Amino acid sequence: MRAEVLKGHLDALLLATLQDGPRHGYAIKEALRAGSGGRFDLPGGTVYPALHRLERAGLIRGSWSVVNGRRRRSYQLTPSGQRALSQERSSWQDFSTAVTALLGGEPWPAAT
Amino acid sequence: MAGGNVSRSQQRSVDRDPVEGYLAAVAARLAGPPAARAAITDELRDGLLETLKTHCTQGSSPQEAAAAAIEEFGDPATVAAAFAPELAAVHARRVALALLATGPLVGLTWIAAAAVNALPPWRHQLPGPWIALPLAGLALVIACPALGLTVAATGRLGRRLGGRLGRRVTFPPTCAAVAGLAAVLVDVTLLAIMCGHALTGSGSTTWAPVGLAACASLTRVALAGRAARRCLTTRATLT
Repeated sequence: MRAEVLKGHLDALLLATLQDGPRHGYAIKEALRAGSGGRFDLPGGTVYPALHRLERAGLIRGSWSVVNGRRRRSYQLTPSGQRALSQERSSWQDFSTAVTALLGGEPWPAAT
Repeated sequence: MAGGNVSRSQQRSVDRDPVEGYLAAVAARLAGPPAARAAITDELRDGLLETLKTHCTQGSSPQEAAAAAIEEFGDPATVAAAFAPELAAVHARRVALALLATGPLVGLTWIAAAAVNALPPWRHQLPGPWIALPLAGLALVIACPALGLTVAATGRLGRRLGGRLGRRVTFPPTCAAVAGLAAVLVDVTLLAIMCGHALTGSGSTTWAPVGLAACASLTRVALAGRAARRCLTTRATLT
């Protein structure tokens, strides 16, 4: 699935991958892919800039470590990020409920 | 996490040149503070090598794995372009914070020079070349909100700005460039006034504080001018 399809939802999905603890960029990308059953296999060139944007917004916090002799940046949710994720989750549930009601094949109410 | 079972010999046999070549191609297209660019390439390298290891564990040859990892990341121009708004924001924020930090110091050197020499503004007078002093004040009035907006838009407040302003990627470098150019205007005005004052030779002058203030302004003209030009260059690449 192309990254454009996720436009508007990518930030929330990235935040959701960090709800269970810190991950580095590749692990976040893999979590998105695995968590979506392979549907959201985004290029690294999309995921990493988005992580930088979220960090600048104060929603995630990055920290460096050295693994196998190379630098690795891992990210974790900040309290603001936790709150943003809760809000995104709530608004998505409202939205998806409404769309499912309209597209779910149920008969539409009769026009008056 | 994937790919932890690659043997050392296999790891050594991995030809890293394609990965390093790819990273060099991305780095060459990144514009911004060197430390920020280095951090991006370090992070991408880690991701690429993790991807490469995953492909190796799935049976690909090192060369095939490297090619597949690079393919998954996307072409260098696209990756660099995706980072451009972030790097522009980082640069704009640094410029704004530097101007905010140094602005009061430059101002204090001029106030000290005016106080020591009892220059006309110190006596609430604006004769001769000092008539241009309000121009410096006008530039300050432009610079201060531009600095505030730059800092706000590039930090955590950026999300709260919301709307078109908050999402517009050219906004931070534009504001930072305006602030930098306004700072240059302040300094050039002050330096021109002081030159005019010296040429008219009105009264004795203690030159040490004036020289200090002039050096501070000349330094800021050079640095703020260069920073503003870079911000405008960056802005052009974002549009």
